[in-house]
Amino acid sequence: MAQYPSAYPERLDDLFQALADPTRRAVIARLGMGPASISELAEPFAMALPSFLKHIRVLESSGWIRSQKNGRVRTCTIDESRFADLDGWLADQRAVWEQRTDRLESFVTTSTDRKGRS
Amino acid sequence: MTTSHLTPVLDPDLDLTVSRIIAAPRSVVWDAWADPRKLERWWIPAPTLCRVEALELVPGGAFVTRMSEDGGEFVPHIDGCILQVDVGERLVFTNSLLRGWRPAEQPFMTAVITLADHPDGTEYVATVLHSSSAHRATHDELGFYDGWGTVIRQLAEFVETTPST
Repeated sequence: MAQYPSAYPERLDDLFQALADPTRRAVIARLGMGPASISELAEPFAMALPSFLKHIRVLESSGWIRSQKNGRVRTCTIDESRFADLDGWLADQRAVWEQRTDRLESFVTTSTDRKGRS
Repeated sequence: MTTSHLTPVLDPDLDLTVSRIIAAPRSVVWDAWADPRKLERWWIPAPTLCRVEALELVPGGAFVTRMSEDGGEFVPHIDGCILQVDVGERLVFTNSLLRGWRPAEQPFMTAVITLADHPDGTEYVATVLHSSSAHRATHDELGFYDGWGTVIRQLAEFVETTPST
């Protein structure tokens, strides 16, 4: 039987962790209106550029955005397929069944306490 | 295996499979499904309480679960029908039908649960088939309960209302 790719939940964790910050959410919202350069993106925020770039890197490594350097300007684009991954009832359903299976697993492995099992 | 089985044809846009090796004997995993008192301990995420009203493990039998936020009023969760039971191996149910195969008002899902022996315990596979009306139904019924879906959806909607290039 085909195993569902185990990478999926971890990637979801990354996606959600990336959203757990107001600056990063604002960047995503801004990029929803179209691509923008790093300096355009940084403008509304009162923080040093290196700190801002940290947020950009989190968004990039989690897969929310892509960036491309053109000469001296780095332009960021939102990766809309991430929304397709998450913005769907099927993703919800998968989460429901993954979590349900987690609970079943923990129920049968902790409530039985048989020998040789950890 | 006592009967031959159809293998569901999966539609990647509608269906999902969750597969897991569970470190417990097959009989124990089956029992967690087949015993209503056990099922209600894991079927719905805490702190929401679950009550298994009916789990008639025969084809056409009722499968009815209810849930409560605070232990007060219990509201409908799953109202379905058992389609196939191979004790210890396979359980198929749907909410497209009710007890005694009566057609349901708001069908959207058929679940095929299979258990197989595995050197480390049990190979557990849940295959869930959805109708295309699942989107609407789950929005109201299920998505909310386990879901972080809402937040991400709102964000996506916000982002997507302004089309990018």
